Amino acid sequence: MTQVVLNIFISASLILLIANSFSILYTTVKFFHLAHGAVITAGAYFVFYFSTRLSIPFLTAVPLAILSGALLGVLCEVFVYRQMRKKRRPALACLIASLGLYVVFQNCISLYFGSDAKVFRFGPVEAGHKVLGAHITTTQLITIEVSVLLFFMTGLFLRHTSAGRSIRAIACDQELGEIYGINSNKIIIIVFAIGSAMAATAGILAAIDTNMTPAFGFDLLLYGVVAMVVGGVGSTWSIVAGALLVSASRNFAGYYIDTKWMDAVTYVVLILFLIWKPLGFSGHRLKKINL
Amino acid sequence: MEYILHILIFTCFYILLSQSLNIAAGYTGLISLAHAGFYGIGAYTTAILSTKWGLSFWLNLPLAMLVSGAIALLISLIILRTVEDYFIICTLGIQVVIFSIMNNWTGMTNGPLGIPGIPGIRFLGMALDTRIKFLALLLFFVLIVWGILKNVSRSGFGNTLKAIGEDEIYVQSIGKNVRQYRVISFTIGAILAAIPGGLYAHYVSYIDPASFTVSESIFILSIVIIGGLESLAGSCLSSVFLVMLPEGLRFLGMSNNTAAGVRQIIYGAILVLIMLKGNKRIKG
Repeated sequence: MTQVVLNIFISASLILLIANSFSILYTTVKFFHLAHGAVITAGAYFVFYFSTRLSIPFLTAVPLAILSGALLGVLCEVFVYRQMRKKRRPALACLIASLGLYVVFQNCISLYFGSDAKVFRFGPVEAGHKVLGAHITTTQLITIEVSVLLFFMTGLFLRHTSAGRSIRAIACDQELGEIYGINSNKIIIIVFAIGSAMAATAGILAAIDTNMTPAFGFDLLLYGVVAMVVGGVGSTWSIVAGALLVSASRNFAGYYIDTKWMDAVTYVVLILFLIWKPLGFSGHRLKKINL
Repeated sequence: MEYILHILIFTCFYILLSQSLNIAAGYTGLISLAHAGFYGIGAYTTAILSTKWGLSFWLNLPLAMLVSGAIALLISLIILRTVEDYFIICTLGIQVVIFSIMNNWTGMTNGPLGIPGIPGIRFLGMALDTRIKFLALLLFFVLIVWGILKNVSRSGFGNTLKAIGEDEIYVQSIGKNVRQYRVISFTIGAILAAIPGGLYAHYVSYIDPASFTVSESIFILSIVIIGGLESLAGSCLSSVFLVMLPEGLRFLGMSNNTAAGVRQIIYGAILVLIMLKGNKRIKG
């Protein structure tokens, strides 16, 4: 049982990292950037590429991969979303475009690396540390630390720096922000860079912990999206609640029913939640109309 | 020759799929990523009925349509509480749940191993054992579905659906029950998706969950969007184009896997370009 509780916290921290990276994007640009899933995957594959093909040392490859992931997100913004924003395309069109981008990126990755599962190998498999009779590996410990650290840093960044305040202004009302002299395009690029860098980090951590396939980022992203929607968009702490709820329902489903039903349970939670509380935990209103 | 017929048959499957999605996504504006799920429900219902109870195709198909429609009705009553992008995320969730049931309910669906030994179709005592005969049957279904959808689009009901796609608040204001129309249109789409599902199961005689994944749903939606929402002929043309594309690429010397990947890259890129250029049927 301790192991189950520990597992809930481990997977919740990964989901939190992804939900956090996605929600900073979603609250600013207000559409589902599904190509974010490809950024998660790309982060892991960049590390794989840099460390095995270019034989760059692992600890240098990781920051390089995170930077490349951030660059990928920024490229999406500059070449696709900014052009669509200029033409005032609706959120739905941006979502479909992001789906197209995702398909392109995912297939580029699987064409180049093959669609089989890849693992990072660092010698023999370690048993991990013992905490109250439950096992936790070093990677998982790092995941929890990084996720919590980045969560608080994002919060502090958004509240106490001028760039963070500009991001919140643009998220709140883009036109009004521009009237006050904020360059919204620049701010949105910063948001994409930060969000994508966090997503790439999450992808790398997840890939080290288990393995990676060209599609694994999309599944991870969907858990993050579910956590964000269940938590309620726009509130910082509710994302934590959402991530914990998603992770708890997945792990309890795995423990009491069968691990193969974990995915189905995640989405059943999402759908039940939307019936019960269409606005999520925090109750913030986010849709214009609900006929 | 057999090879060309095989490709034509698959083109027809996708024509049926894209047209059935068109009534929900094109007319009413319900962009759904769960269509491969309903396609799968049709295929699995037919496969289970014919292998476990030995029913004939002509009984299986209406039953499959009924099952798919009933499930769609139930689902749409729930997820149509959400709108626009949240609706898409919900349909994505539904797709994953349906796939997970096909993949994991081993007792009923045989899990990832799939269901083998689905018998062929017999028509008036004659076995449709050659590809050409099967293609004739398929074309017959394509014509029927086309006819139904053409009639629907000309009817008052179809006009209401299109009006909802254009401006739902206006339709609401003239006293139409928007939610009910949406539920009906989503359900009709799912019922029609069971037709290619049933035909597919009998054609390939072996089905497994890998044919009904999220990527398949994205592919069907891409066909509809690339062909033009609300355009039946457009869906037909883009099905032909996207199904034939990997065959063409193979002639350029690409391997099977590469051709499949390159096709996906091409339709993903077309999707982005269409959205960049602007499609007035997609509103937010």
